[in-house]
Amino acid sequence: MKDTFTIAVHSPRGGTGKTSVAINLACAYAKEGKDVCLLDMDLKSPSTFNGMFPPSGKWINDILDYKKNIREVIVDGSESINSEGRFYVGYSNPDISAIREFSSKDRKWQSDALKALIQSKKHLQQEGFDVVIMDTSPGVDFTSANVVAGSDYVLMVIKPNEYCLTNIKQAIDGIYTPLGKKCGIVENMCLNGQSLQMGEKYGVPVLSSIPCMCEVSTQGLSKIFTVEDPSHPFSSAIGRLKVSIGD
Amino acid sequence: MVSEVEMNNILVALNEINDKLDRLLFQQDSSSHVSQEDELNELDVMTLLSLPDHLRTTATVLFEMGTATAAQLSEKTSKERAVESNYLNQLVRMGHVHKHRDGRKVFFTVQSI
Repeated sequence: MKDTFTIAVHSPRGGTGKTSVAINLACAYAKEGKDVCLLDMDLKSPSTFNGMFPPSGKWINDILDYKKNIREVIVDGSESINSEGRFYVGYSNPDISAIREFSSKDRKWQSDALKALIQSKKHLQQEGFDVVIMDTSPGVDFTSANVVAGSDYVLMVIKPNEYCLTNIKQAIDGIYTPLGKKCGIVENMCLNGQSLQMGEKYGVPVLSSIPCMCEVSTQGLSKIFTVEDPSHPFSSAIGRLKVSIGD
Repeated sequence: MVSEVEMNNILVALNEINDKLDRLLFQQDSSSHVSQEDELNELDVMTLLSLPDHLRTTATVLFEMGTATAAQLSEKTSKERAVESNYLNQLVRMGHVHKHRDGRKVFFTVQSI
C-alpha cells in the first residue's frame, strides 16, 4: 500500500487566506496527476469551499460522530477541475444547528473524534490517495489540535506582522513540536514584498512569501487560480510551495 | 569482557523477567476492586500535549496504532521493548490506556469505541 501524505493547513489566527491556500494547493496536486482528497475540517466555521465543488449532502461531522465512514462522505470533484488525478472533497456541515451541536462537545467526544480522524486517514490510504489536505479552524483549540495530531505535516499560513509572533510561537511550541509534526510556514498577503521570515526565528522553514494581490483577496474564495489561471503569480507561488513541501 | 552471545542471553533473560513482571502486574490490576473501565481517563489531544515528552511519544504512537503490544510499539519508536512496557504501564496507572491479556501477550489500547 502506498503512503498517503496528510497535510493540515492551519493558522494561529483567522483571515490569513488559509482556505484559499488549501484549495489551490489541493488542486495543484490533482492537476499534476496526484490522487487528492480535500477536507473542510473547520467544524466551527465551515467554508464548504464556497460551492466551488459538487455538493455532497453528507458531512464530516457524521464521521466524527461514528454515523458514517469517510468513503460515504467524500464526493468526486475531478470533473469540476478537470484534473489528471482523482480529486475528492469532504465538507463540514454549515447548518447552524450542526455548528451549535459541535460547539457543545465534551472531551470524551473530542478524544473519540481524533480516533475517527486517524481511522479515516487509514481508509483514505487504503483507497490509494496520494495527498490529503485538511483545512483546519484557526487558533489553538480541540478542533485544530485534533487535525494537527492526525496529520503528517502542518502548513502554517500567516500574515507577516509582528503582532502574530506570539501566536506563531504558541502554535509551534505548544502543538506542532510536542506532537512531533514537521511544519513549514507560508507568509501570505505580504505587503510591498514584506517578508519577516518569522518562522525561521523558531527553527521552522518559511516555504513561501506570497505577495498581497488584490484579485486573490477579492476572488480567492470563488476562483481556483491554479485551475483557471495557472500562469497567475498566485498559482506560480502555490506551485513553488508544492515543490518546497516535497523537499 | 562479555561476549555477544552472553549479552544476547542476558537480554533474553531480562525479557523473560519483564514478561513475568507484566503478568504479575496484570494479575494485580485484575484483582483490583475498581475496574479499568471505571478508572479510564480519556486520552484526548490536550491530555497528550500535557504529558511529559517520553510518555507523549508512546501515547501518540499508540493513538495511531489503536491497540499494540509493547514489542509492536517499540518497533515504531525504536526504543527497547522493556522501556516501552514501562511507559505503557505508567499510562495505564494514569488511567489513559487500557491493558488486557490475550494468551501470553499483553495488549495496550486507547480504543474506547
